[in-house]
Amino acid sequence: MPLYRTLINRTLIPCLVSAMALLAAAMLPASASDRQSAAITAVGSLISDVEAMLETPDADRDTRHGAITALLDTHFAMDSIAAFSTGPYWRAATPDERETYKSVFRDVLVGTILNNFDQLNGLTYTPGKATPKGDKFVIVSGKFTDVTGARPPVAVNWRVLTRTGKPVQLFDIEIENLSLLVTQRQENVAVIRKNKGQFGALITAMQTRLSTQ
Amino acid sequence: MHTGFMTGRQGADTITGTGGQRQTPPKIMVSKLILVGLAGLLAACSTTPPDERSDSRDVFENTNRSIYAFNMAADTYVLEPVADGYRSTIPEGGQQAVNYHLRWASMPSTAINSTLQGKFENAGLATLNFLVNGLTLGFADLTQDHDTIEQEDFGQTLASYNAPEGPYIMVPILGPRTGRALTGNIVDFAMNPLRVFGSGDEVQTVRQAQAPLGAVSFRAKNFDAFNDVKYNALDPYARTRSAYYQIRLGLLEDRVGGTSPTSEDAFEFLFED
Repeated sequence: MPLYRTLINRTLIPCLVSAMALLAAAMLPASASDRQSAAITAVGSLISDVEAMLETPDADRDTRHGAITALLDTHFAMDSIAAFSTGPYWRAATPDERETYKSVFRDVLVGTILNNFDQLNGLTYTPGKATPKGDKFVIVSGKFTDVTGARPPVAVNWRVLTRTGKPVQLFDIEIENLSLLVTQRQENVAVIRKNKGQFGALITAMQTRLSTQ
Repeated sequence: MHTGFMTGRQGADTITGTGGQRQTPPKIMVSKLILVGLAGLLAACSTTPPDERSDSRDVFENTNRSIYAFNMAADTYVLEPVADGYRSTIPEGGQQAVNYHLRWASMPSTAINSTLQGKFENAGLATLNFLVNGLTLGFADLTQDHDTIEQEDFGQTLASYNAPEGPYIMVPILGPRTGRALTGNIVDFAMNPLRVFGSGDEVQTVRQAQAPLGAVSFRAKNFDAFNDVKYNALDPYARTRSAYYQIRLGLLEDRVGGTSPTSEDAFEFLFED
């Protein structure tokens, strides 16, 4: 048997078969329990990182700003969140508008978290159950409790994006039935509609907001 | 000569026995006045053309936004400073007592509405809570069951019978309501135990203080979140409307602390491509 045929039979074909098998496994929907476990892990990882940040209360604002930005980029599906937050107007936006919006939206988000970060002090997180929602999302429930008892417990639902073959990332946070992302989306859509459908008006409003943070 | 307005006790005194001329009971009169007022309010609302609305559900958006601006001004000059003072000067125990009382006052409504919705266990618990805590006018929670009773209002009852939601209405001072929720509020108002059973000057004083106290207590409990919307939102009106609809939907579907109330359809458009 010629050498090239031997190589094909013994090396290339098994490699191709393995690669195809891996590809097929990645394309097939993961089992619900796998998705639930992955979602719980993703939330747990975020909580661990936040707790680590809270352990350095003396960090200056710039350091914390950088850490929160990294936190968002690591744990949250920021591109999908930005697209969702503008509703149907995302498709009408130009590529430049989309990029500008993604940037300013992220900055506003980081600023908002930064200004409210200290409110997380003294809270403990108790994870709850994970519930699949369709084939893309898993809702992970949990509860924040104030160790001093001064604030009532707060029920939280984390909406985690669990698409096959893509990173498992957080998409939305619902606090006592109030979705932060849906609220932001409806507000953004209202701003665009009140400005005759101009996507740029939302960017301007966000930039103004950013300048006052 | 009647002035047209009567206090509860004055009104009760004018009802004669059988054979005499029966006048309208005051509770019904108040409700009628509110209904007439609301009808006037709605008549004053001109519908906003669909292409000018920022949300298709908000048919009176322009009028609603004007009322919202008025409410925010009232908040700035009255409610916010009072709530700030309330939360910083009234001890934690006092604030808790007020919360207990306001919750107790809603128990008859919860009991009746739970029954109408077929939630008999909740109705029983609410009745028990009302009877036991009635010993202190609700200012102390003797039953310690505050996590087990779900408050139910007549708006939720109407929703359970598939009554239409009605338009989104920004009510002066009271804030956002759907037409259905506002109707429910009027019915619930009539079920206030101190209105039905109360007598004596002290009880009447407590009853008259309930509404303003409830407003201050609510504002104080949600002080930071409210201020965040008021001062930091891109469009505080739109954010308020969104929050109201979501919270209301959660209550209607009994999802307090449960799974997501947000329609899954809302999330699908991202992945249609």
